[in-house]
Amino acid sequence: MFSPSHVPNPGFHDTVPSMIRFENVGMRYGMGPEVLRDVSFHLAPGSLHFLTGPSGAGKTSLLKLMFLAQRPSRGLITMFDRDIATLPRAELPDIRRRVGVVFQEFRLIDHLTTYENIALPLKIQGRAEESYRADVKELLSWVGLGERMQAKPPTLSGGEKQRAAIARAVVAQPDLLLADEPTGNVDPEMGKRLLRLFIELNRLGTSVLIATHDHALVEQARAPELVLQNGRLTVRG
Amino acid sequence: MAEERSEKREDAGEAESRSLLRLLVETKSVMPAAGATGLPLVLVIAAMCFLASLALGAALSVGGATADWTRDLSGALTVEVKPARDKNIDTQVETAIKVLTGAEGVLSVHALTVADTQALLEPWLGKGNVTEDLPLPRLIDVRIDARAPPDIAALAKRLSDAVPGAELDTHRQWQAELVRAAHAAEWLAYAVLAVVAATTIAIVTFATRAGLSANREVVEVLHLIGARDRFVAAEIQRHFLHLGLRGGAIGLALSVAAFLALGWQGNAASMFLVPMSGLRLQYYPALVAVPLVAALVAVVTARLTVIRTLHRML
Repeated sequence: MFSPSHVPNPGFHDTVPSMIRFENVGMRYGMGPEVLRDVSFHLAPGSLHFLTGPSGAGKTSLLKLMFLAQRPSRGLITMFDRDIATLPRAELPDIRRRVGVVFQEFRLIDHLTTYENIALPLKIQGRAEESYRADVKELLSWVGLGERMQAKPPTLSGGEKQRAAIARAVVAQPDLLLADEPTGNVDPEMGKRLLRLFIELNRLGTSVLIATHDHALVEQARAPELVLQNGRLTVRG
Repeated sequence: MAEERSEKREDAGEAESRSLLRLLVETKSVMPAAGATGLPLVLVIAAMCFLASLALGAALSVGGATADWTRDLSGALTVEVKPARDKNIDTQVETAIKVLTGAEGVLSVHALTVADTQALLEPWLGKGNVTEDLPLPRLIDVRIDARAPPDIAALAKRLSDAVPGAELDTHRQWQAELVRAAHAAEWLAYAVLAVVAATTIAIVTFATRAGLSANREVVEVLHLIGARDRFVAAEIQRHFLHLGLRGGAIGLALSVAAFLALGWQGNAASMFLVPMSGLRLQYYPALVAVPLVAALVAVVTARLTVIRTLHRML
């Protein structure tokens, strides 16, 4: 499932199907130092990985490259067999719709209700509300927000926001789920429950990458771990 | 709640009025409607529509009046018979009338009496100040068929041959100057309209940019969850459609009130050389176009601004 860096295997691309492939990727913000250096790996369809490393190691930067909020300074990134560097801007939404993201700071839209926030990925796909209303309500109940459907994010607790952010990321059944510290604001019980949701999604075919500090979570899931240290990536497990 | 309310209305079978209402009452948008571009912008658009309606009304009135004058004057000629020492002016006038009546294309000939002529001078000289022995030219009002006018040059020649000192005034010079002045006024009004439109575009562009920048976080999140530029643009232009229509409706109402007040004031009011007793009824429908055009301008401007701004984002 995981391929370590420095794999100059000529036939590699054709033999192993991949959802995301990084080859010698480097990234810097503006004229600053490189926050990611020579990062190479690939994620296969249906895989589950953790992304760990100390604060400031570049976890969020790596995720930003994967949800197309940043372009790499160098190297090659392919997602769903498309080269991200040469992808026209107009085609980015198609890729983004296949990726669900749980942002570290949630990034819910404050003036919309929890229900509207969670239904947003379906709304922007142009689907009629009748076609998804029941599904969204069911998902809301599942993450324990059934009673908070009409509440707006500023009135939600940290844990509730986190669950809303997760619900929004998974509602459109993405091919790839990226989660940045998804259990940072919830109690261990809810953390386990959310992990079960991720594993369940993974079983249904979604590739999952969870960036976390929570070692208990990593041990529980027994999934391979991508470790970022000083902008360089190694693999464990 | 808004959804429930609109559903109830649908049940009541008032779909038409509901859709009209929807245009004026904003439905919930993904982009926050309030903030920098709420009520103040409605008022600015209202003011712009008010000015645009006034300018349009003035342009239409002046244009209409010019057309009327041209029509009236091109159907009329005036013959001026100057008094001569050795000739009886009444005989001269009669001769002139004979020449004119026989001419082709002439509909009617009416000579002004001495009293009529004196009455014409009264405003300048005062009543009773015109003495009997003041040699006054006599005027003959000639109505011609504007569609098949007589040969003016030939008629003038025949007239001056028959009656020395008779002059044919076609009003052409006066008419040309009047029409030129009126056209200038008309174009001035259209220029005001253009400036108002350009200002509105600038304001909407500014407001759209301000709105986008205030909602930058929202726009970014929308992009990251896969929204296309046109989804974001649609959300924002819907906001501006409502602002434009609401502002436009207020501006239109104010301008209609202004024109009605002008009418109520009577002929005392005048605008661009045209005595105006309000706006003619046939021009009111044109004013209705103003808020619609304003809304269209706001929507198109907002859309173009959004698309252009978003293109700079990843």
